[in-house]
Amino acid sequence: MTDFSIAEWRIERRREARPAARFIGLGAALAGAIIVCGMLFLAAGAEPLKAFASLAKGSFGSLRATGETLVKATPLIFTGLAACVAFRARIWNIGAEGQVFAGAMFAYWAQHNLGEFPALVQIPVVVMGGIAGGGLYAALAGLLKTRFSVDEVISTVMLNYIIVYVLSLLLLRGPWSEAGGFFEQTARVDRDATLPMLIAGTRLHMGFLLALAAAVLVHLILTRTPLGYEIRAAGSNLRALDVQGTNTRRLIIVVMLLSGALAGLAGVTEVYGVHYRLKAGAVAGYGYSGIIVAILGQLHPVGVVAAAILFGALLNGATLMQIETGVPSALIYAIQAILLLFFLAGWAMCNFRLRRTGRV
Amino acid sequence: MFESFLQATILVSVAAATIRIATPLLLAALGELVAERSGVYNMGLEGMMLMGAFIGYLSAHQSGSLWVGVAAAGLTGAAMAAVFAFMVITLKVEQIVTGLAVNLLGAGLSTYWLRAAFSDSGQTPVIPFFENVPIPVLSQLPVVGPILFDQKLLTYFAFLMVPAVWFLLFRTRYGLIIRCAGDNPKALDVKGVSVAAVQYAAVVFGGLMAGLGGAFLSVGSAARFVPDMTNGRGWLAIIIVIAGLWRPYAVLAATLVFSFLDALQLQIQGIGIAIPYQLLLMMPYVVAIIALMVRRSRANAPAMLGMPYSRE
Amino acid sequence: MASQPRLSVRGLTKRFGALVANDDVSLNVEPGELHCLLGENGAGKSTLSSCLYGLYQPDHGEIQVDGQPVHLRSPADALRAGIGMVHQHFVLVPGFTVLENIAVGTGSGWRFDRAAAKARVLAICQAYGIELEPDRAVGDLSVGGQQWVEIVKVLYTGARLLILDEPTAVLTPDESRKLFAVIERLKADGISILLISHKMAEVMQSDRVSVLRRGRLVGTVRTADVTRDDLTTMMIGQRIAPASRSSDGGGVGGAVLSVRGLSKERQGRRVLDDISFEVAQGEIFGIAGVSGNGQDDLFECLCGLAAPDEGSFSVAGAEVRASSPADVAALGVGYVPSDRFRDGLVGDLSIEENLVLGQHWSARWRRGPFLDRNGLEKNGRDAIAGYSIAATGPDAICRRLSGGNAQKVILAREFGKADRLLLCNQPTRGLDVGAIGFVHRELLRKRDEGCAIVLASEELDDLFALCSRIGVFFRGRLLKVLDRDRTSHDEIGRLMAGQESVVAA
Repeated sequence: MTDFSIAEWRIERRREARPAARFIGLGAALAGAIIVCGMLFLAAGAEPLKAFASLAKGSFGSLRATGETLVKATPLIFTGLAACVAFRARIWNIGAEGQVFAGAMFAYWAQHNLGEFPALVQIPVVVMGGIAGGGLYAALAGLLKTRFSVDEVISTVMLNYIIVYVLSLLLLRGPWSEAGGFFEQTARVDRDATLPMLIAGTRLHMGFLLALAAAVLVHLILTRTPLGYEIRAAGSNLRALDVQGTNTRRLIIVVMLLSGALAGLAGVTEVYGVHYRLKAGAVAGYGYSGIIVAILGQLHPVGVVAAAILFGALLNGATLMQIETGVPSALIYAIQAILLLFFLAGWAMCNFRLRRTGRV
Repeated sequence: MFESFLQATILVSVAAATIRIATPLLLAALGELVAERSGVYNMGLEGMMLMGAFIGYLSAHQSGSLWVGVAAAGLTGAAMAAVFAFMVITLKVEQIVTGLAVNLLGAGLSTYWLRAAFSDSGQTPVIPFFENVPIPVLSQLPVVGPILFDQKLLTYFAFLMVPAVWFLLFRTRYGLIIRCAGDNPKALDVKGVSVAAVQYAAVVFGGLMAGLGGAFLSVGSAARFVPDMTNGRGWLAIIIVIAGLWRPYAVLAATLVFSFLDALQLQIQGIGIAIPYQLLLMMPYVVAIIALMVRRSRANAPAMLGMPYSRE
Repeated sequence: MASQPRLSVRGLTKRFGALVANDDVSLNVEPGELHCLLGENGAGKSTLSSCLYGLYQPDHGEIQVDGQPVHLRSPADALRAGIGMVHQHFVLVPGFTVLENIAVGTGSGWRFDRAAAKARVLAICQAYGIELEPDRAVGDLSVGGQQWVEIVKVLYTGARLLILDEPTAVLTPDESRKLFAVIERLKADGISILLISHKMAEVMQSDRVSVLRRGRLVGTVRTADVTRDDLTTMMIGQRIAPASRSSDGGGVGGAVLSVRGLSKERQGRRVLDDISFEVAQGEIFGIAGVSGNGQDDLFECLCGLAAPDEGSFSVAGAEVRASSPADVAALGVGYVPSDRFRDGLVGDLSIEENLVLGQHWSARWRRGPFLDRNGLEKNGRDAIAGYSIAATGPDAICRRLSGGNAQKVILAREFGKADRLLLCNQPTRGLDVGAIGFVHRELLRKRDEGCAIVLASEELDDLFALCSRIGVFFRGRLLKVLDRDRTSHDEIGRLMAGQESVVAA
């Protein structure tokens, strides 16, 4: 009996993606996302190339534009790091959105009640307030998970919705509402509480440096400390950690505290670095974008900073794009989601390969 | 005498509103129930509902037919679910992250498209909305008539889907297969049944139902589209499935609890009781967390829920 | 030969990367034959059966059923060809009834015809003398009962060739006797059985035996023509000396571990029932029993992971109560869990990192707030050398290690921790002969250092080679503690089946 084998192709999953394959996969994902964006431009009746060009000009076309891009990137670095820390431990903190609110609110509460002090006192109070507010609000979800086994995905999403109403309650005819004001917002904050500017001619503020410092700190924690060891281990095998004597309940709370604290700082930079007053519009949206930033940055602090600057550029450039081409700036949020989907798919597809096999 | 009559009418109107408000939640929750029974956590429900609401509105506006809108909404939900299914079943991407991406896509795309389509008018045009269809005879019954039998067709459909989904899951051959996929997919694989095919079908069904739920919000009752108009209903539907212990009738009960709270809230606002409206609006989310806290067992959860199946 | 063989495999080769799991394997199974596939762990038996059931696709070779070539791309193809398989680890849905488990995925159309399915299941049961209640939930059945569900499930699909993958690994001797009685009736009906096993007593009941060694077929022989020793030689390669019994280590000091009246309930079932025993310094105390009879629960209590409902235990005189794994480890206790990749290792961390798992906060592995990288690396190198771990270096990721090397990483860590007491649950499970020998030597070395050791194993050879006393677990009870030198495999085997009375008589 002759054993003849006919070549045929089969798609197989591989155990480890090779770096080259990963690079190609991500490149293809980027190309795919750009093509879909181009189609969305066309759908809005704009020339894609012109729209991309004005997007680029709006984000990096001048010193002022570049500074503004970094201003927009700042809260995204914080929320991206927040997601990065939690996701590394496979704790799905989807609540950065609400934790940004909580950080801003706690910081405002502390600073508001402090009274007039020099900047040297007020700024640390504001920063610590953001850390405490975001951290505690996240720890609440951690507590719900460890004490009542409430899934953190769902509890953090619910907490995101709840805090929006809490803020609204405090702002609208509440204790924080601006005297005689019509909008749901506080009065302007004390000048000495605001974050100092860095470069003349831009609005770039100290918060950006804080964000970079936070990225370095997170990187050190993850790679060099016992806590980082536990975070990475939890992301791989929580049970083994438990069996070998780590208090994993406490670890979950600690991770949530850390993640929430980072998110809370985003609230501080927006209120005290950009808008100088507390209102929902100042702090909304960064939490969800931060999750995309974290994943595009491959859950690595350096990647998070890079992805945050890219997203900052998109947000910033969109305004000019809308003026020049009439493409609604809301497109940016669609683009973010499309990028995420393509990257997830591209990343996953690196794990597949075509293989030539003999016929059985 | 007059007082008690007033109370009675308020009760009837709260009850009728409960049934109406339950419709989108019930549709989405029943779809999610089937998807989760097959082992897939569809965390993209919110985005599918929202996109269904938008496309439903847009199609109804363009075509002038509400039913075209409803059909388009269902198809939109199903199409998004197919993308989700490809990502999590075929590519085995993390279900939570993919779901989030789908949600953000729904929010971003619907807002962008809305602005792009109606930028000139500034305001989104209002379309006609579905009228109530009283069922002859039954709607004349005292009390229960106006509550149960004077509703929109989609509402009747949603409530009829409860026994239908129950029958599908617990009385048919396919139901057995779907539940097996959620509890032990390998037991299907060794029988030569494709686990992926079962899960694709269940997830796409879930998306279709979520799209219909979205359509009820825009085409069915509001007669317009507002960005983020689902406002967490997709997430509430997921919670309802958990609180309903993955059983159709318990899911119905959980849906009614949440929609009763919402209806009550509307009524309280309507008669001007001095409670800040924010407290009323946040109530469903607080109750959702409490519901998950008091739920004692996950014994009914599909054993392999959320875990992608692969042979090796 | 006049009749066509039921199954004919020609030159089947299957590779996983560089590893050749099956190398040019050819064999025939005749209608009505009980054909045994014999080989050590890792010899390629499971890979071959997975290829026959369409779970893996071979790289080369041909498979014929009743003379017809078949391409088995999925279990669906295998079922169509009349091949059915009972997996070593059952694939059942605990919440489904027996009937639902058997019928799911069969039939066509929307309707699930419960009555017809039930009639067919009962007919199969009657034909082959199997006792099953179709409407009971599978989760309530004993392990033996679940095995019957698996077998009926395969027969229900109309299979004419049954692959049984180590079916008796979890059965009591009595249950496996029943299994072979059923197999006789299946054979009489012309159904072929391919039995995968490494238990000689079962292998000798077959018609023919095919022996695999390191992925290659050593040969196929008629069972009547050979002896057990012949088969062992074929399987292992050269005649090995019978497992040497360790020189006596009856314990030189006082009790290190004393367990008093430990009881635990889980989901309304008593998984530990009044367990009491003591282990002395320098003693290895063996625990025999079919898995799932409470051993895992005992170890989870002893290592601090779970709290017993009643009773207590002490380590070196210190009472341990309502504790955590960290507290127990602080007493100088090491724990080698049975599921090493689930409980023992963090797959995505490196060897050097896994070696300090649980001690990563200790000052020994820190420099200020940071982990001492150099110390970790040196410790990793030492362990790799000392335990001859095959790895590219201390920074190799543990997920990619083989079972034996992964186990060595755990041993290196836990032996270092265990100053007084070492808890080992199934330390040799799934390891090859070389690695088993290594584990034996290390356990004896640890014992000679004066450590008390609790060793649970399903392999009686492990226990007889290492332990001075052997306790037998059955349904959560410690039936009896026997002196190694005054008992036999048979006696322990009967106790493992719960036949206390036989022993007493």
